[in-house]
Amino acid sequence: MGSLFDAYEPGPHFDEVFAADGAVRPHYAGVVGRLDGFAPDEFHRRETIRDRIFRTQGITFTLADDEDGLERTFPMDLLPRIIPAAEWEVIERGIVQRVTALNRFLEDLYVGEQAAVNDGVVPRWLIRTAEGFRREAFGIHVPHGARCLVSGVDLVRDADGSYLVLEDNLRSPSGVSYVLENRVAMTRVLPIAFSAERVRPVDHYGPLLLGALRAVAPPAAGDRPTAVVLTPGVFNSAYFEHAFLARQMGIELVEGRDLVVEDHVVWMRSTFGLERVDVIYRRIDDDYLDPVVFRPDSMLGVPGLMAAARAGNVTIVNAVGNGVADDKAVYAFVPDMIRFYLGEEPILPNVTTYLLWDDEQRAEVLDRLDRLVVKPVGASGGYGLVIGPQASDAELARVRAAIEADPRGYIAQEVVGLSRHPTMVGDRFAGRHVDLRPFAITGERVDVLPGGLTRVALREGSLVVNSSQGGGSKDTWVLEDGAGGPR
Amino acid sequence: MLARLAENLFWAGRYVERAEDTARMVDVTYHSLLESPFVAAGPTWGQLLDVLHLRAAWEERAVGEGGGAGGADVDAGAVVRFLVLDRANPGSIAAATARARENVRSVRELVSSELWEAVNDLHLELAGRDLEREVAERPGEVLRLVRDEAMAIYGIASETMPRDAGWRFLALGRLIERAEMTCRLIDVRYGQLDVLRGARGPDVPAADGGFHHWVAVLKSASAFEAYRRRYRASTAPADVIEFLLLADDLPRSVLYALNASMRQLEALTDGRPSRALRLLGRTTSALAYRDVAELLDEDLHEFLEDVQARIQQVAEAVADEFFRHQPPGAMHAVAGG
Amino acid sequence: MRLGIRYVTRFDYGGPVVESQNELRACPTGDGHQQLVHYGVTTTPVARVRSHIDYWGTRVDTFGVVGPHERLEVVAAATVETSPRPAPDLSAPVAALADPGWRDEHLEFIQRSPHVAWGEDVRARARRIATGVADVGTLMARVEEDVAGLEYRRGRTDVGVAVEDVLAAGAGVCQDFAHVTIALLRELGVPARYVSGYFFAADDRTGAEAGDEVEVETHAWVEAAVPGAGWIAIDPTNRQPVGERHVTIGRGRDYDDVAPLRGIYNGPREHRLTVNVRMRRLAVAPRGAPGAPGPYPGGDA
Repeated sequence: MGSLFDAYEPGPHFDEVFAADGAVRPHYAGVVGRLDGFAPDEFHRRETIRDRIFRTQGITFTLADDEDGLERTFPMDLLPRIIPAAEWEVIERGIVQRVTALNRFLEDLYVGEQAAVNDGVVPRWLIRTAEGFRREAFGIHVPHGARCLVSGVDLVRDADGSYLVLEDNLRSPSGVSYVLENRVAMTRVLPIAFSAERVRPVDHYGPLLLGALRAVAPPAAGDRPTAVVLTPGVFNSAYFEHAFLARQMGIELVEGRDLVVEDHVVWMRSTFGLERVDVIYRRIDDDYLDPVVFRPDSMLGVPGLMAAARAGNVTIVNAVGNGVADDKAVYAFVPDMIRFYLGEEPILPNVTTYLLWDDEQRAEVLDRLDRLVVKPVGASGGYGLVIGPQASDAELARVRAAIEADPRGYIAQEVVGLSRHPTMVGDRFAGRHVDLRPFAITGERVDVLPGGLTRVALREGSLVVNSSQGGGSKDTWVLEDGAGGPR
Repeated sequence: MLARLAENLFWAGRYVERAEDTARMVDVTYHSLLESPFVAAGPTWGQLLDVLHLRAAWEERAVGEGGGAGGADVDAGAVVRFLVLDRANPGSIAAATARARENVRSVRELVSSELWEAVNDLHLELAGRDLEREVAERPGEVLRLVRDEAMAIYGIASETMPRDAGWRFLALGRLIERAEMTCRLIDVRYGQLDVLRGARGPDVPAADGGFHHWVAVLKSASAFEAYRRRYRASTAPADVIEFLLLADDLPRSVLYALNASMRQLEALTDGRPSRALRLLGRTTSALAYRDVAELLDEDLHEFLEDVQARIQQVAEAVADEFFRHQPPGAMHAVAGG
Repeated sequence: MRLGIRYVTRFDYGGPVVESQNELRACPTGDGHQQLVHYGVTTTPVARVRSHIDYWGTRVDTFGVVGPHERLEVVAAATVETSPRPAPDLSAPVAALADPGWRDEHLEFIQRSPHVAWGEDVRARARRIATGVADVGTLMARVEEDVAGLEYRRGRTDVGVAVEDVLAAGAGVCQDFAHVTIALLRELGVPARYVSGYFFAADDRTGAEAGDEVEVETHAWVEAAVPGAGWIAIDPTNRQPVGERHVTIGRGRDYDDVAPLRGIYNGPREHRLTVNVRMRRLAVAPRGAPGAPGPYPGGDA
């Protein structure tokens, strides 16, 4: 082993690069072999180049309360995460299956006969008490039933390396801009890493997304429907991504005030007058989308938009009301949805989840709270998460009281160790926990972008990978069939 | 393009230019006073406030601070601070750069990151650091910094932006603002000449019409060398005024800015009928064939005010034509019945 | 009883408004107790009106006006045929309310909602009401009795006053009566929903085929779900059986789900909203006869 990997401790977790016996896994052999000869100084020099690229590309996010608008980069580690073709094939099938079932479920719930609910597959009361359930979206059709046009299913790996689904993220999953930019940066900073590897490209994401957006345009829109990206504005922490996606697709990035609804048709205010809009890829939450129907104090949305969608004059992407399936208690029923709607066994299992309104399950959970993870059902991005083994007694007491007061409001899950991946820390590689968020696009069919965003928990031992909580990322390679291994 | 973004770019162009030109005017006033120890500073600064249409704001502020209300009693230090740093004064350089930054921030995806950084830097420079002392002791340096950075911003814009509609709105805003502000720059000097005449004592030679003051104006417009090459040793104020007003090849002259605005507007309207273009054309031709000697015989100040009013009409017509799809106002909720 | 209804909402904005977008819920529903004969909406300035049925089964008319205007008038004209309601059997035992399947089915009307959130005052009242009561009908009657202690005070409250505050004040308008009643019923385990509608309040004893037009207001009452009997309407404001004079627009968890008009406009903050409802009894056209003219000419849309 060269110096960078000296003293690397795979530890008790599943390590992405090293097998239990310390040998480099075959699909990493090429990259590890090529980076092995790097001196720490040379590696740091590459990191400096990387930082410059990210800054000049403006690949940054701002924190909401930062007055100076200081821009931060989302640090990309230079050792890529690699997924062999056969492994990816399973992930891809699993995600297509899951997203297909979720689209079917949401379509059935909002414009269908609610078969899964009527047949008791998903409890009716659970749906009706889900925060993301939007009665206002009832009866609004989406062409092809593509309600989750973009989804970002979070996967983690347990101790034996099996992939498990942690969250589905069916509202406005973010992070795909980092997937594309990480790849561009990697090819410039460490071109040598790619030599002799056949890495599946990701740069077709823009056209893929635009194709799906056009595919869900209302039939009346004709051959060249106009799609736009709707952003809350420059102060949103993901604004860079909104602008990035608009640029990748060559379409307008608009704010709510750029759009106006007239006679149930959406128009964009341009320098030459009003231009008709057919599809809106919105990165604004349901609650802020249309002040006539949702929060009346919202200044971000477009008054009358929901009525225009209902009239079939515009398609809102992702569909309104998807949040019902992001409810972490509803998530627990996704495997049943797959069986119900597709008649198949789930390819990617859920993390074992306990539903706390059930007296028996709650009692069991409260009994071993210090060994479980507790999450609020409505939160995302790692907010409100309590990891039992790392929590103080006071935290555990608080979460116990919260569960007892509102058992519907929380779920408990077994702790998943999360696989680890060597990540540059100081002068050498050290193991850090990672997850994987592949992005799936539903148009006329479901496509999964090869790879996705690998997020890294940069703090030692941490299991929280979210960018808002001090996470980093990795370029994620899916190898072509037959590729990988030393050559 | 989106009306909102076009408007942001237009105003970004105007505010950067406004900051730059205000810096030039404060600079020329400050330095010409240094060189004329016998001239009362108060009326001279007051005259600058008039030309910048900031007299009312200044007096309001003075009243608010309990100080003596404006008039002839204008304190040089206070007025420089007011014009450079006072964020509450919408006409100050700091306010203009802050608004330029807000506008560029809204169009970040349309401009290069270097352009954003340059505008942001200028804003932070004026807002972040405590400049009070520097402005009091060495205003020239701060004013020069504003000028240099503003020019750098346009250099970056010019070298990094594709020549699309976005660029044209930015350039149009800049040129329209420049035409207006150069009128004011001439007016400041011309007005101060009047002040000088009024205060004329034996120490003010009538012969050169206070030519060294006009040199300061030319320098502040970065046009002194060009003037020398063209007019040689002429010290006639009429020549300087002609140069700054009517030279069709001097980038900072009023006529040049109007002609360049025409070209941008022609590209933007692309043959469609345009009231803004018609108004601009009329203003430009009204200027192009004027005789300066004649203007000096009549009331130059009035003429300059008239040109400014016409330019403002053009700006309003531009807004009407390209940005009007963006209604102002706030949304309110109703429920009942 | 055949009734003609003319509902008019008028916004007087304090100045020019450049855009307004609205949702109207004013159309009488069709159900076992009433049949909609005719309905039409017109607006001034003219706007294209689109209609749909919402999650709760209420017809919603959506329309927007883009372009400067200082006033907006919305006219909904309806003709509806109502029928008397038979006395229901309310003898279901209170214990039947606890059936999990039944509760699950009615969950949305048992839980709290934005305008129906309650605290200790309601809980104490509910305990007093429930003492010694064995059947749901008696429970409902005692809730009505309790609410009858409130004083009807016109314009006393806006929608949005909390249930407990209405009780503390001891007075309210029909929306408040409805919300308080719903809170008590839900606390007692009786699913309860809010009904928005019209009430033909005229003392119409002329006996003539068609009566005089009278000015009324939009009204609100309550429906409670009774095991074995279904949804039973009660009118806590008027304390009289819900029957032919009640015209239902729609039902929901509370006012928010069925507010007659909600909207957004861009213009001056201050505005005046006037609502005017006129009703009259109509002659029923004999079968086979040429269609009777609409009650309000020009009401068709």
